Amino acid sequence: MAERAEGRGAARRAARSLDAWADRLHLPTLAVAGLAVGVWALLSWRYGAYVLPSPLAVVRGLGEILSTGEVWTHTGASLARILVGFGGAVALAILTGLAAFVSPRARAVVHDVLAVLNATSVFVWIVLSIVWFGLSHWAPIFTTLMLTLPVVASNIVEGVESVDRRLLEMGDVYRLGGREKFRAIVIPSTVPYLVAGMKVGFGLALKVSVVAEIFGVTSGIGYIMNYSREILATQMVFVWALVMVLVMMLTDKLVFDAVARRLSRWR
Amino acid sequence: MAVKLRVSGIGKDYLIPVIETVSFGVEAGEFVCLLGPNGCGKTTLLRIIGGIEPATRGAVLLDEQPVVAGDAPSRKVGVVFQEDRLLPWMTLEQNVALVLKPLGLGADARREVARRHLALAGLGGFEHYYPGRVSGGMRQRTAIARALAIEPDVLLMDEPFGALDAQNRRIMQTEVRRIWKETGRTILFVTHSIEEAVAIGTTLVMLSARPSRIRELIRNDGRVARGQLIDDLNTMIMEEVERQQGGAAVTPRAKERE
Ligand SMILES: Nc1ncnc2c1ncn2[C@@H]1O[C@H](COP(=O)(O)OP(=O)(O)OP(=O)(O)O)[C@@H](O)[C@H]1O
Ligand SMILES: [Mg+2]
Repeated sequence: MAERAEGRGAARRAARSLDAWADRLHLPTLAVAGLAVGVWALLSWRYGAYVLPSPLAVVRGLGEILSTGEVWTHTGASLARILVGFGGAVALAILTGLAAFVSPRARAVVHDVLAVLNATSVFVWIVLSIVWFGLSHWAPIFTTLMLTLPVVASNIVEGVESVDRRLLEMGDVYRLGGREKFRAIVIPSTVPYLVAGMKVGFGLALKVSVVAEIFGVTSGIGYIMNYSREILATQMVFVWALVMVLVMMLTDKLVFDAVARRLSRWR
Repeated sequence: MAVKLRVSGIGKDYLIPVIETVSFGVEAGEFVCLLGPNGCGKTTLLRIIGGIEPATRGAVLLDEQPVVAGDAPSRKVGVVFQEDRLLPWMTLEQNVALVLKPLGLGADARREVARRHLALAGLGGFEHYYPGRVSGGMRQRTAIARALAIEPDVLLMDEPFGALDAQNRRIMQTEVRRIWKETGRTILFVTHSIEEAVAIGTTLVMLSARPSRIRELIRNDGRVARGQLIDDLNTMIMEEVERQQGGAAVTPRAKERE
């Protein structure tokens, strides 16, 4: 009796550890993905490759751009624009945060400006950037900058506002200078907000810059997706969408999560 | 002995008058315990003495030098707040070493001093721990080590053991008293516990209900038996608490006139 119960316990434990492994390998997700691919194949067979290319065609397309190196050309072009536009947004956001820290009046202005920017549609910036910069690199760069600025800046300002006054007071009591307080108290409390803002901002930058690339430039993921559509190569639209998703997930995992982990070492 | 700290005619008004007038002198090496009902202005008084907050009236002299809130080039005041106020992203050693920077010590000297004071507070071996990885009592001891490390002219402590359980509280009381004996610092210590005050203070200052004045200043030199002293102080604080709950309009002076 006891033995049987023990045997059952062991079996249950084994089942549980199997479950844990399955979860770690995202097996349930993979199962759902497999199902989706099945449905996709069926629908593709029913409606034809122009509307919905088959999974096989997409895989073949991916192999193709990988072997020709085309994947690097367009991904590189998009990333370069993002780096300039998003980098500019981060730099501006940091300046904004500094202003908000130094002067309460500046903080009020920053809040209002960010509220307006947050309420402005992507499309406004796309159209305006074409008007102002013509059909050039600068159009997607500017669009990216204007759209990610409020996201990153809001986070930094929130970080600056959340600096614990009581810690600053401790700094005063022990006669720490302004620079020392900034280095030891303000920066460490704000940086996690900056990183969180950059993570969200980068995702947004990737999504927005490709939309802006539809107009006027001749490289980049957005351009090549639109071009593929025009030449009726629908499978390539899927391929590039896949590339975008991969780039996004990889930067999230390899860059932002790693940085966030390093910053929260002390927790 | 020389007068280390002189509090003369200090008063503070916020929206309501909080401290009416408080005066006392503290000699070097004294261990003063401040007692009084909730909200009577103990923290406020400590903050004024520490130069964190300006007084409405009166002056504080530390080594004959006036303490001015906001700027004070000559003061060396160690403060232990009710919360530990450690920087969570710095190790215990870095936390202590940080406050030594304004004293102009080099990096090695800072580390050495920090280690010595952490050891004094019983934290040897924990120098490289982050505050989040040690117990509340250890964080509080780190805050005390930090305050002592600057070799303060005065050490101000605002209910530093408020967050501790009875057991740790007793351990910390013994610890602080030992450190006080070893270093001979002048200490002002706010507490709610009369037993604690009688156990560790050399001078006991009982504040009245708000707006506060000094109700009683007692030398705890053993001339009055401890049990008697505790009873007396308990009676006093009961009266003051009652008076405070009786409404802010009833000032001590109004009572006296009756
Ligand atoms: N910054 C402030 N602005 C307005 N009122 C304040 C301020 N700080 C303290 N007070 C008031 O002053 C009074 C005394 O506060 P204080 O913190 O000094 O009391 P306390 O004796 O330390 O009380 P406790 O025993 O609860 O710690 C309270 O009534 C409080 O509301
Ligand atoms: Mg208090």
